[in-house]
Amino acid sequence: MKNIVEIKHFRMDFSSKTVIRDLSFDVKAGEIFGFLGSNGSGKTTTLRALLGFYTPTSGELLIDGKPYDPEHSNITVGYLPEERGLYRKETVLDTLVYFGKLKGINDPVRWSTKYLSRVGLLDKSKEKLEKLSGGQQQKVQLGVTIMNNPKLLILDEPTKGFDPVNRRLLMDIIDELHQKGTAVILITHYMDEVEKLCDRAILLKDGVAHAYGTIPEIRRQFKGKTLDQIFVQVYGGKND
Amino acid sequence: MIKLRNKATATVTKFEFIRQIKKPSFWASIILIPVLMCGIGVFSFFISSDTASKIDQYNEDSTIAVIDKAKLLPEQAPFIVNGDLNDGITMVKDQTVDLFFYIPSNFSESKEIEFYHVSEGIDIFGSESNAIRVILNQYLSQNLDEATVMAITGNFSVADNPLTNTGEPSNALGRTIIPLVFLIIFFLFVCLFGNRLLMTVVEEKENRISEMILTSVSAKHLIIGKIFAMCLLGVIQILAFVIPAIILIFIFRDNAIISQILSIIELDPMDLILSIILFGFSILFIIGTCTFIGAISPTARDASQFIAPVIVGTMFPLYFVQSFFVQDPSIMVEILTYFPFSAPMALMLRSAFGTLTTIQLIIGIGEIALLSFLTVHLTVHTFIKNAINFNIVFPAFLSRKQ
Repeated sequence: MKNIVEIKHFRMDFSSKTVIRDLSFDVKAGEIFGFLGSNGSGKTTTLRALLGFYTPTSGELLIDGKPYDPEHSNITVGYLPEERGLYRKETVLDTLVYFGKLKGINDPVRWSTKYLSRVGLLDKSKEKLEKLSGGQQQKVQLGVTIMNNPKLLILDEPTKGFDPVNRRLLMDIIDELHQKGTAVILITHYMDEVEKLCDRAILLKDGVAHAYGTIPEIRRQFKGKTLDQIFVQVYGGKND
Repeated sequence: MIKLRNKATATVTKFEFIRQIKKPSFWASIILIPVLMCGIGVFSFFISSDTASKIDQYNEDSTIAVIDKAKLLPEQAPFIVNGDLNDGITMVKDQTVDLFFYIPSNFSESKEIEFYHVSEGIDIFGSESNAIRVILNQYLSQNLDEATVMAITGNFSVADNPLTNTGEPSNALGRTIIPLVFLIIFFLFVCLFGNRLLMTVVEEKENRISEMILTSVSAKHLIIGKIFAMCLLGVIQILAFVIPAIILIFIFRDNAIISQILSIIELDPMDLILSIILFGFSILFIIGTCTFIGAISPTARDASQFIAPVIVGTMFPLYFVQSFFVQDPSIMVEILTYFPFSAPMALMLRSAFGTLTTIQLIIGIGEIALLSFLTVHLTVHTFIKNAINFNIVFPAFLSRKQ
């Protein structure tokens, strides 16, 4: 299967601090890939470097065979970052339509209305975003992320702050996109999500990969332990 | 109408334009700030201590000729020449003398002395015309008592008749009006939009939207879209002043002062074109500078420490506005004319007051054009790298360590 993401010998230093030492992995087209690690292990840094926000100290980070540039990329990318935010003074619908136009989707109003209806926010479409709860805002952000049917979807802790119902809704949406052939990179601290959704995963510790492969392969490396148990074993008391 | 070929840029432009125009603060600033600024400007002009001292000064190296038909001055005085008014004017045209004064025979009734000199600028302080007051004081006091001298010298006017280098009547004031209009609009733009420009770039970072927006649109299209939106808002601002001004001028067109101003307005096509180009690049330079500051700063608060010096630097020539009237500008004026931040305002002032040659103006415009493209280019390239930095980060070549 074709690699949609390739990271080769990636190193990232911030001043005198090395966040990523030597990281190499790939994500295949159409798979769901779990990107795991404790807080501060460098997951978000890696994704930011992959998307061109950081210049790597060394190594290559490629999407579809080249460094990512939204203007010249041949594939559509959706990114739900860890840092969440929207234009707080704008309405829900205006925000979705704006991003829809930027992403070049046909009839963004129709798409937005349909999406808001699905996630139970249609009655809030004319509300300013600042009036919405955190979870509701997160649904709007998810809509922005997936609206252009991305070939690569990068989700940095997408279920953080969601109640179980909305977590389920999000999982369904991810699964639907996966069925359509979208590759998903999923950062999460919920190991049950990883076990249920991910084809492969990587565990990052101290700037290097600690385990990498399919979920059964990783479990075999750790003598059949569950991912939860593996996580605790690898990160000890560091994870919160 | 600007045709925007790029859809993403057009989308950003439309979104930013509508967002800004919906804000009550936009309309409040359009109405309130210019009124305040005009008030402060007029106030500072009148209280300027330099003004009084300038009035008594004239260039002592100037050559002077006086035709005294009223026989006030001794005939053997070195500046006295014989002849009539036209002879004196010819001397000015030939540049045999710098300043020519004609005291008519009916001076005791008219109380007016005619003054001819070559001037491409405007002499609002009347410094050159004061030469005749100094001369009269000096020579009359030799033969007359102080009270009589005061009665003569303190109670007459000097009719200023400036001539161009080719000897035609000069309309320096009329030529000043259009460039001054551009200067006022530029001044208002800096006051009204400096902070707004900065905010529009910092906002994505403050609201944590940078990563989402920059995976949807390139930094180049985002920044250019924002710049277009600000330019459109600037047009709204200009119209908000120009339309009422035109209406008021139309209503009061029969008023003596307004009709006189309208009659002297002179539109030289070349001057107009250069003024428009200077204005356009000056606006682009300010936009580029403000957006660059926004691009390197993580928050509006961080940006504000940089924007204040930029605005003060831009306005700096206004603190020395009198110096820009002088035909032989000082070193300070020359420095301000080409120093990046003060250059737009200084060039506009000197262009308005006719104290700048066309070549100097073109050099100044070239400098500002270069700086504007450089700042816009830097903004685009800095924005993406600083989109998620929470410290102030300068472009690599400006800092030793990235």
